[in-house]
Amino acid sequence: MRFRQILITPAAMLACARVAMGATPGALNLPNFDALTQKAAQTVDITLDAALLGLATGFLDSSKPEDAAAKEVIRGLKGIYVRSYTFDRDFAYPEAELAKVRKQLAAPGWQSLVVVHDNRAHSNVDIYICMDQGRASGLAIIASEPRTFTIVNIVGAIDLAKLHALEGKFGIPRMQLDEKK
Amino acid sequence: MNEDLDARLRKALRPVDPGEQFTQRVLTRVANEPKRSIPRVSKTTMRWASATLAASLVLGVLAGHEWQARRTQQGLQARRQLLEALRVTRDKLDIAYRAVNDKDGSSTEAGEHRGS
Repeated sequence: MRFRQILITPAAMLACARVAMGATPGALNLPNFDALTQKAAQTVDITLDAALLGLATGFLDSSKPEDAAAKEVIRGLKGIYVRSYTFDRDFAYPEAELAKVRKQLAAPGWQSLVVVHDNRAHSNVDIYICMDQGRASGLAIIASEPRTFTIVNIVGAIDLAKLHALEGKFGIPRMQLDEKK
Repeated sequence: MNEDLDARLRKALRPVDPGEQFTQRVLTRVANEPKRSIPRVSKTTMRWASATLAASLVLGVLAGHEWQARRTQQGLQARRQLLEALRVTRDKLDIAYRAVNDKDGSSTEAGEHRGS
């Protein structure tokens, strides 16, 4: 009994801590970018939780390749969050906010998948995947250019094979990634 | 002891004739009882009730339609947002793809890390 308690307690504490922090594996705590909306020339702010994804699924037309691919991709997902801002001048966005998000990706579970830094174009794309109990449970993309920054957070059981299928359907070139599950 | 109790009970609960007068008194009382009138619903009340019911039905149908319309609107908006989100994801993956597969590699520092 005592031994079992010793085993269960750390796991329970970890689970409680996660619940207390509201941390779903693979989910990022995105900063509030409301202030940037006024400054930005173009804004994409998409928050699709599990309920809205379910609702959207009902309105996807399986006879359309794009819709059918989307339906396949979102199966098993718990949320898709996109924040993208385009400005009229260079580096108008706060780097500190991006750093906050990058810091979250240093947490256990997150693994860097692709890092692209183009110093000449000041273009950066970081792709991270969150592994939870050996399964992909989240994907994060942080892309920044002088006038644009984008954060994409896909939460849930991401199937990289489906992502490949999405690439084909949406005209995305296929990435040569090793899938180790 | 038990036999004594039985006898006492039998004696206490024995049938007793109430007599002729009792029956007469009951019949007289019943005959003199004032008649209770059954409340009648007036035509006006019936009309109001019907109108209220009809209005409720119409409101219910309208509310249902409104809910359905709103649900459809939300669904279509969610679909649009989903496709937009996937397009943004596509664009960013495309940048990473091009950088990773850039054969020149002269101007781009690209690294690919593979997770275990």
